[in-house]
Amino acid sequence: MITSLRRPRRTIEHSMPQFGRIDQGRLGRRVLLHRGGRVGVVLAFVLFVLALVGPRFVMDPDVPDYTNKLQPPGSGHLLGTDLAGRDLLARTLAGAQTSLGAALLVMAIVTIVGLVVGVLAGSAGGVIDTVLNRLMDVVLGIPGLVLTLAMVGVLGPSFINLVVAMAATGWAGLAKLARSHTRGAGQRPDIIAARMAGAGPVRIAFGHVLPGAMSLVLVASTLRLGETVVALAGLSFLGLGAQPPTAEWGNMLSASRQTLAVAPFQVIGPGLGLMLTVLASTLIADALRDVNELRNSR
Amino acid sequence: MISFVIRRLAQSAGTLLGGAVITFVMLAASPGDPAERILAAQGKESVTPTAVAALRTELGLDRPLLARLWSYLRDVLTGDLGSSWSTGRPVIDELGSRLPATLRLTVAALGLAIIASLVLGLAAAWGSGRLLDHVSRLLSMVFLVVPSFLLGVVALDLVVVRSGVGVVISDGQWGTVLLPALILAVGSAASWSRVLRASLLGARSAPFLTVSRARGTTGLRRLLVHELPNSLPPFVTIIGIEVAVLLGGAPIVESIFSWPGVGRFTVQAVGARDMPVIVGFVMISIALFVAASLIVDLVNAAIDPRLRGR
Repeated sequence: MITSLRRPRRTIEHSMPQFGRIDQGRLGRRVLLHRGGRVGVVLAFVLFVLALVGPRFVMDPDVPDYTNKLQPPGSGHLLGTDLAGRDLLARTLAGAQTSLGAALLVMAIVTIVGLVVGVLAGSAGGVIDTVLNRLMDVVLGIPGLVLTLAMVGVLGPSFINLVVAMAATGWAGLAKLARSHTRGAGQRPDIIAARMAGAGPVRIAFGHVLPGAMSLVLVASTLRLGETVVALAGLSFLGLGAQPPTAEWGNMLSASRQTLAVAPFQVIGPGLGLMLTVLASTLIADALRDVNELRNSR
Repeated sequence: MISFVIRRLAQSAGTLLGGAVITFVMLAASPGDPAERILAAQGKESVTPTAVAALRTELGLDRPLLARLWSYLRDVLTGDLGSSWSTGRPVIDELGSRLPATLRLTVAALGLAIIASLVLGLAAAWGSGRLLDHVSRLLSMVFLVVPSFLLGVVALDLVVVRSGVGVVISDGQWGTVLLPALILAVGSAASWSRVLRASLLGARSAPFLTVSRARGTTGLRRLLVHELPNSLPPFVTIIGIEVAVLLGGAPIVESIFSWPGVGRFTVQAVGARDMPVIVGFVMISIALFVAASLIVDLVNAAIDPRLRGR
């Protein structure tokens, strides 16, 4: 039971073993064979499909109807209506699109930034590596949500700025991962072969090492999807992200607070959406961990 | 052990310094002229260009960036974080008067989370594979997937508004801390109990436990005397990491329960883009987080001498 004392902030990247290169097809099959993993993958798939096509089949989420405000769930409005008489099912589905879309955007940015910075640091070595590595340490040394909050303060509260702030604070853990993958790469047979074939350092770093690190970083950033969605919703809940009338799970919950005593059903849609997203993400993460432990113990 | 402590202290100082540099960059990059904001906050009727220019000179804003960084670092070191752009009062006073309330909330949440995760984790490991394990793991999973702000909003409505237990607007004292602390603790308790369960089950395969079983010790004795102490380092480590999660969760929970702490104050500051206050909160969070990591590492080194080597 020896755990390293140098602990970066998040757990997921570091609970993953340092495998050299991920065989994505095999990993995917193993996760699907895992009972919890299968449930998680199906759930995530359903959520994404609902977010993608759901809004087409319901009424406009932003049109108020003051004659029908705070209607309880029932015929006509499956999840009821809010204070402005807007259909909560429609707003929940629109909110899924906002939340999941923004989370995917954040993930795409942090994956790219983390990969480029990590591979650059790992293959350049020397001063560049030291500087970048210190920068990662400092970013990881500040509690994530606190740093995001401060970045929103610098940029000003809006949803786009929140996405930028999340991206600006989330890349460091992934860069660490990419860096540790890159640092050992010089001795790998395929990299030696590439060097002997005459590839320059830049070409080796970005043409040979980076693709190998990519699957690793991609898996790690995917595992944080649930966490990202909750952070986006949490800051929107505080009024520092998505602004009304945009439908987003966090600001829907925030808007429901004043009338919760008479219309508690308002939390159902956004609440379920958030919980199912985190559940899917957690199940997939657990499955990946189990699958890797199995492989390592053989 | 002493060289280990010195090394860790140096590392912590480095993180604090790095954090101060990052906050300086944030201050410098944020739009708006601090001098204008301060004069407006002081309620001056007409902000004349000459007054702004005079204050800019007084604040040293007309000096080169590196010189400003140097004096900024010196100020932070001496506890001078500047004045709030909204209230005009020194940031250190504004945050200092609200910090005790936040510390009460975080410490209460930390205590609750440790107790709850110990109970859940030990229960799961003791009854592993049986009903107790399944119930405990299900509870952890439920706690893990409920975001704190959802739980907080529902709890405020159910417990305070409908049942009349507790208060809507807290005074920040120990008397009203239970409900907010519980909400803040739930997510951490869930993830810590999962870590504890995994490491308890991992410790079970150690050879000395086979010996212990062969000697005829009871399951409970093995769990508490042999497995628990050997599973503590990862558990203590995750608690140290998750102090960051508690600090990040404080603004949300404080806002829901109107808890008069630094988190809620900072949320308002972010809305008003009151940079000195935001920066002050970041520095306090870093300091608390660094202190927590330091304590965790020292505790772990005390528990397990093997960890002192690095």
